[in-house]
This record gives sequence, structure tokens and C-alpha cells, in this order.
Amino acid sequence: MKLTKHLFFILISFISIQANANEAKNWLNSEIDLIISAYKNENLPNENKFLMVEQTINNNFAGTGIAKFVAGKSWNKASKDVKLEYIKLFKRHLALNISSMMQGYSNQKYQLTDSRYDEKNKVTLIDMEIFSDTGSIQVTWRVKKSKDRFFVIDLLVADISLVVTKRSEFNSMLKTVDYNLFEFNKKLLAQNESSYQKITN
Amino acid sequence: MNKFIQFSITFLFVSLSNHVFSAASDDVKTNPEDFETSTYEDEIYDPLEGINRAIFSFNNTADRIILEPVAKGYKKLPSPVQSGLGNFINNLKLPLAAFNQLLQGQGENAVESTGRFIINSTIGIFGLIDVADNIGLEQKEEDFGQTLATWGVGDGFYVVLPLFGPSNLRDTTGMIMTMMTDPINAYATNQGQSWAIPMRTAANAVDQRSQIIDEVNALRDNSVDYYAAVRSSYYQNRKAAIMNTDDDVLTPLPLISIEFE
Repeated sequence: MKLTKHLFFILISFISIQANANEAKNWLNSEIDLIISAYKNENLPNENKFLMVEQTINNNFAGTGIAKFVAGKSWNKASKDVKLEYIKLFKRHLALNISSMMQGYSNQKYQLTDSRYDEKNKVTLIDMEIFSDTGSIQVTWRVKKSKDRFFVIDLLVADISLVVTKRSEFNSMLKTVDYNLFEFNKKLLAQNESSYQKITN
Repeated sequence: MNKFIQFSITFLFVSLSNHVFSAASDDVKTNPEDFETSTYEDEIYDPLEGINRAIFSFNNTADRIILEPVAKGYKKLPSPVQSGLGNFINNLKLPLAAFNQLLQGQGENAVESTGRFIINSTIGIFGLIDVADNIGLEQKEEDFGQTLATWGVGDGFYVVLPLFGPSNLRDTTGMIMTMMTDPINAYATNQGQSWAIPMRTAANAVDQRSQIIDEVNALRDNSVDYYAAVRSSYYQNRKAAIMNTDDDVLTPLPLISIEFE
């Protein structure tokens, strides 16, 4: 009887984990389609494409959480206003990064190949394969669920985590301003302006 | 008129989705202690940073002036030509990959790589066609840097090599070992065709670069510190190659928690 109970519990857990992973996969699929539809529209100006990407990212990425993680030890020393300014700048920076990756988009096909739930870290991992004429590239999305909504917490392209790379990169620059987030915001603003010019022109 | 309609649609889309979702996204909070333990990748051992940055800057200029334009030109070749050249270059790496797999105790992979080399070099017309992939023999790359890491040799310090790019002490040693032991290079030298060695290296660089044109440009155009971004990417990529496991298992998971107020 005990064994039956155990088996029943394992079965239910497995089904609910799989359902969660599939739900995340379907959600991600629709959000990616949204971004791609913007890039498929050749008549849409670059500025409008970027605005659509930025909005989709703001809605679906855990921007504040990622921003805080990337800021590392400079976060605690900063004032509330500086933190808010940094979060605003970081979210735009994230959108510019992803939008820039989409610049070379030329109707490549993509497929969400696998989704699984990492019970230990409470994270859903969704694999995506992007196909080109000469090969394919693997992208893994890390997705977390909170209050019935999914949020992307990281993006891995060919084994390289966007968030870990950003943290390392920001840390290197923060070191030069003695981990002063206020000073860093000036550099981030300048970088965002330069990236924005490149994307929209 | 057309432009006005496009702008209106975008504006409407942005405004509506902003009202519906953005508030939820902005409420995403993290716990203060989330970041206390996550120091990985923050401090890569780079005692030669000053020199490395100077070489990196030189490499970056060389990339912009030579490698990137050539890679873009290569991308314009018909895809069967690109695939053929890529397959040919990859096929030449297989004997040494199989040897390294053997040194790492990966007997099955070594047999697969040897099988790939034999099939692609014969049926696949000197490696131009990847026939082996169609029968389930996948390309699995291993080099001396990975072998040394498997044997317990640490990274050493980070180093940027002129023209060759990011590396570390262990991987540079591995690269020298590759140059010295590669049977294809040895054969070319024995036949008095040493010119083929730098040609092969250059062709490999162009082929590899052509596959990441957009990714490199995105990183270069949007990094507050491009040098640090490349350094981190290099370490993550090598770690994944050494461990031979799925990227999601191996890449450290950022400790990002999502809590609503």
C-alpha cells in the first residue's frame, strides 16, 4: 500500500513538473513569435522594431532581479534613487543587447526542442535551436514562475550565460569607479546612447 | 501615411502591453542575500591585464580590418560551398580529437571520431560532405587544453595571444602541443608543403568567425567593457567544453529569486 502511495505521488509530481515545463515552453514560443514578427516586417523602421523588443523584454524578463545580480557588491552601497536609475538604465541595456543580436535576423527558422523543470533550483530550462543554411546554434532559456507568471532570468547562447557575462563585465567597469553605482550609471547611459544610435540608424 | 499607420500600431501595441504587463515585471524583487555568495566569474585571474588589453585592442582592430570583412565575404558564398569548406576543416581536426579523447579515457568517443574521419574522408570525398553525421556519428571536439584540464591542470592566468585571441596558460600550452603533434601538419611539412599550415589556420579562423558575426558585433557594440565580456565568455565556453555536459547543468545559475511585494 505504501509503495502504491509512493508511486502515485511520484507520478503526480512528474506530471505536474512536465505540465509546468510545457506551459513555460508555450508561453516562450508566443513571446519569441512576437519579437520575430517585428523583425519580419521589413517596412517597420528600426526604432519601432526596437520599441517592440524592449516592451516584450520589459514584460517578460526579471529585469530588476537581473540588474541587482549584475550590480554585485555595489548594490548595497547605493541610494534608492541611484538604484532606481540603474534599474531603468539596465533594462534598456538588456533590450539593446537582445535587439542587437536580432539585427542580423534573416528569416532563420527556430524550434523549441526541449523543456524540463530543474526541481533543485526551481527553474524551467527551455532549449531552442536556431537554424541557418550552414548549421544551427543552441540557445537555452532559464525561466522562473512567480504568481502564475513566467519570467526569463537568463539566456545561454552556446554555453555562455548573458547574465554571468554581464556581471563579469559590469564588475570590471565598477572596479574603475570604486563600485560607485552613481558613477557607473553615467557610463551605462553613455553606452546605451551609443548602442541605441547603432541600432536605430 | 503608411509610416503614420505603422507608428500608430507600434505605439498602440507598446502602450497596451505596458499597461497589462509592465507593472508586474517592475514588481519583481530579489532577496538581498541572493548576491552574497555568487562571486564566480567576477574575478578571473588576470595579472597581465594591462598587456592583455593592449593585445586585445590590436586583435580587435585586426578583426575589424581583416577577419570580419573576409568572414562576411565568406558568408556570401553559396551555402553548399561554405558547408563543404567547414566540413573539410573540421574533418582535419578529427585525428587529434580522437587521440585526446583516448587520453581522457573517452574510448567510445575516440572510436566514433575515428569512424567519422574514415567515413568522411572516403565516402564524404576528403571530408567535404559530412556523411557520418547522417548515420549518427556526431562531431565531438577535444583538444590538449581539455585533456590537461581533465588531468587536473588548472587554468593558470588569463592571457590574450596576438591574433589567436583569448586563452590561458593551460590552453596556450595545449595549443602549442596541438601545433607540434598534429599529424596533418606533420604530413604537410614532410611533403614540403609547410605553406598549407598557416593557410589551414587562417581558413579555420574565417570559418569560425563567419558563424558568429552577429553575436560578436552585438557583444562589441553593447558592452561597457568589451574586454571583460570576451574574457568571461571565453572562460564559460571553455568550462563547458572541458566538462562535456549540458550547458544548463554546468553554467552557474545566477541566484535570482522572484518575489512580489
